[in-house]
Amino acid sequence: MERSTDSGDLIQGTLEMLVLKALLRGPLHGYGVAEWIEQTSQQVLKVEEGALYPALHRMELRGLLKAKWGASENNRRAKFYELTSEGHRRLNAETQRWARLSSAVAFVMQAS
Amino acid sequence: MVQHLHEFVLRLKALLFKRRLDRDMADELAFHQAMLRDKLLRQGVAPTEVDMETGRRFGRASRWHERLRELWQFRRFENLVRDISFSARVLRKSPGFTVVAILTLALGVGANTTVFSMINGLLLRPLPVPASNQLVVVGTKDSDPQTNYSLSEPMFRGLERRRKVFTHVFAFNHSKMQVKGNNGVENVQGQIVSGDFFPALETAPLLGRTLGPADDVKGGNPAGFGVVISEGFWQRWFNRAPNVIGQKLELDNTLFTVVGVMPKQFIGADPLDHPDLFVSMASEPAIHGTRSLTVAGFHAWWLTVMARMNPQATLEQANADVSANSSAILHEVIPDANWIAKREQRHFRFTAEAGSKGFTYIRLFFTKPLMAVFAMCGGILLLACLNLASLLMARGTARQKELATRLAMGATRRRLVQQLLVESFLIAVAGTAAGLVISPLISQAISALLLGGQYETHLDTSLDLRVFAFAALAAIGAALLIGLIPALRATSGNLSDQMKHGQHTTLAYEQQAVLPRVMMAVEVALALMLVVGAGLLASSLVRLYRSGAGFDPRGVENIAFSMDQQPLKGDALLQFYRQMGEGLSHQPGVKDVSFAWIIPFAHMVWDEDFPAPDGKVHNIYQNSVAPAYFQTMRIPFFSGRDFRWGDSGSSERKIILNQAAAKLLLPDHNAIGQFITKKDGEKTFRYEVIGVVGDAKYEDLRSAAPPTAYVPMCQDDQETRSYNAVLRTGGPAAPLVGAAHALAEQIQPGIPMPEMTAMSDTVRDSMSAERMMALLSVFFAVCALIVTAVGLYGTLAYATERRTIEIGIRMALGARRAQVAGMVFRQNAAVALAGTATGLIAALLASQALAGFLYGTSTRDPWVLAGSIVALALIASAASLLPAVRAAGIEPMQAIRCE
Repeated sequence: MERSTDSGDLIQGTLEMLVLKALLRGPLHGYGVAEWIEQTSQQVLKVEEGALYPALHRMELRGLLKAKWGASENNRRAKFYELTSEGHRRLNAETQRWARLSSAVAFVMQAS
Repeated sequence: MVQHLHEFVLRLKALLFKRRLDRDMADELAFHQAMLRDKLLRQGVAPTEVDMETGRRFGRASRWHERLRELWQFRRFENLVRDISFSARVLRKSPGFTVVAILTLALGVGANTTVFSMINGLLLRPLPVPASNQLVVVGTKDSDPQTNYSLSEPMFRGLERRRKVFTHVFAFNHSKMQVKGNNGVENVQGQIVSGDFFPALETAPLLGRTLGPADDVKGGNPAGFGVVISEGFWQRWFNRAPNVIGQKLELDNTLFTVVGVMPKQFIGADPLDHPDLFVSMASEPAIHGTRSLTVAGFHAWWLTVMARMNPQATLEQANADVSANSSAILHEVIPDANWIAKREQRHFRFTAEAGSKGFTYIRLFFTKPLMAVFAMCGGILLLACLNLASLLMARGTARQKELATRLAMGATRRRLVQQLLVESFLIAVAGTAAGLVISPLISQAISALLLGGQYETHLDTSLDLRVFAFAALAAIGAALLIGLIPALRATSGNLSDQMKHGQHTTLAYEQQAVLPRVMMAVEVALALMLVVGAGLLASSLVRLYRSGAGFDPRGVENIAFSMDQQPLKGDALLQFYRQMGEGLSHQPGVKDVSFAWIIPFAHMVWDEDFPAPDGKVHNIYQNSVAPAYFQTMRIPFFSGRDFRWGDSGSSERKIILNQAAAKLLLPDHNAIGQFITKKDGEKTFRYEVIGVVGDAKYEDLRSAAPPTAYVPMCQDDQETRSYNAVLRTGGPAAPLVGAAHALAEQIQPGIPMPEMTAMSDTVRDSMSAERMMALLSVFFAVCALIVTAVGLYGTLAYATERRTIEIGIRMALGARRAQVAGMVFRQNAAVALAGTATGLIAALLASQALAGFLYGTSTRDPWVLAGSIVALALIASAASLLPAVRAAGIEPMQAIRCE
């Protein structure tokens, strides 16, 4: 019932990092987060709704995000997410970790 | 930590505002879908396909909700709630099992809680005074193993002066007092207390002041004797009048002034006494007159002595201090050097024991019986738990398919065990609750049975925190004991095997059958132990009844007159008794009338030392009786003559011996007409033996009849003595006491209402501990038999039901019905046999603990052992017969077809 795989953890962790990054420039609703990630990655990264919303809610529960209801650009009621100071701190840590990890992976892959 | 708190608060909000959370989630998803649809439309996708595309990407909305909501839940908590409601449903579906389970546990927990609440009231609850842990009880010890807790007044004064480790040393003794009111004289429970009694107990009075050292100087406070009254007495006697302080009260014909009122929670230092009046020891000589115990000095041992230690002192220091000073104190306060030498030969010393729970004599008598009963109750609870565990285990086997299916559906074993445990917890909680409800009723019955009539006591068995903690512990223990093993067993094993074989396998039962059988055998063994214990106690009680008292108590009534405080003295008092006896003998139904100073089994002893012709000194019990006493009591007269009213003070001192005394004091002669002598201090008394009577028991029924000498009441040296009229009646006894009072009023007005007791009640009360233990143990044994029968029946019935097909096949192959019945029956017979053998050995070992309670009964009494085994065998057979008969009734075709 409570099974999980290692690869899932990695993806989840990465998604959380991307969400934090998306919210760095200001509050966004869930759709906005997904759109920003897709556009910024030039359609390479597609964010599944089935993963996005559980991640957002989990981060809200952990206090990385703060949620507020407001009006969207087309005047619909929408839930906006915003970084908390804890979220900022986590983003910094994740960014550094990611830089170390990706350069290490690149190093390995370039080895002959 | 902060993060956890944050999470907790959010989840709590989600739990409380569940609706809003659901709506928000729906809104959020709807918004996302709308945005997505707008985008697709902008990209030029056809509207019909837009719906399909969003539907494909999102799936069903309800599944989304489920996933998101799960995040916000307290998973454990909500699982638990679900388990509880599921378990309740499961239990409701089998009401028979549930009711039996709850009742069994209610009985087990109820009985245990009851006895524990009595132990709590008698042994555990501290006195309601500040820092009760500083209190100690002072006793004396010599070569006798039993500590003595009654001290004489000079000893206490010696201790009172020594305060190295103590801040206060105090003494008290209960005393029934006659209070003169407007409507005659009333007997009220009082206590005589020393000067430091109230200062040591540190409880402020409700009104006025308490008694202090200034009230306890010789002759009393110059302002007169003071009395402190209880709140209850203030209410009853003065109707809570605020001006009660300074009012006069006449107690035992002595004038007292009320100086204070103590609040209700103050009960003194004897937790079972609850006196209404407290007077100082200095007033004791005034109220007791010629029979003053203070005046009797070091010969009268009557005071309970306690002390409050310095806050720094330990119990060891206190004990060492009083022990080391024993000799010094004796030499300081006791003028008789011979007496001291005698005591010191026997290593006399003072001791100090923990006294935070106060002191009561009842503890000395009832701690052991109570503990024995507690052990029996524990046995019953264990039995009930074992029984339920085996039933649950049998049920678990029957539910294996359900459990296997749930495992296959993805439930973890932990969750299943949790759910099964929740089931047993529900049973345990319901059983404990039911047990707590019935507990006060049982405890009233038991304490009435235990202390009935013998003492005016107030055993507080109310349910306090300690009792509830005990009940909770019992419930948790019971739940774990009931549920854990069955739950672990039921969820273990190979999943696919169980699915395949399903409900109709015999394999699963055979594999798991060892543990339930062992448990049932243990149950049988426990039941046998309880039955043997009950049998021993009951047969001991019967023997005690049959042993006889040496007199015939049936139809004998005692009427006690309190004459100590009356002006009648000497010959005038004798005349009063004689007239009273004459008057009573004319009452309807009265056959014989006589008087005695001490009535049997009243816990009073008068003994004197008489030398035998060979110079050896014998301790002989004595009593002072009127003519016709032996006839009234139906004590056989062997030779010589009875006393006459004419054997008065002027004639030669007469004495009647019982056989045992005659044999000791005059072994070689015909006793009649011989003289015996007794030395009391400087004086020598010479008695002429005029008769020999049969041996009659004196102190209690358990001890053999002591050598006893009777002297005539007409030659009593005491000026005033309260005698008991002893009447043998054939009619109703109730009107007699009124008649006695009316007669007394005629002869001498102002005599307090006499008290009547039936001799047969006194005899019964003298066996109250034995009676209580026998009754309770029989009750427990019957419970144990019933519980065991239910267990044997239940497990066998389950097991047989699961073997239906196998039995059907056997019968189809030609097995006869009797063979089938025998096969099923044998299954339990083996269990019962193993249990009985184990139980017999255990009972033989454990019954040694009962040896102290038994009268004339060996702990290995073959009749009791054989009877217990037969009883258990009968019960076990009856419980096994029904499933066996049912198995024999199986129709082979139907049984096989149902697969």
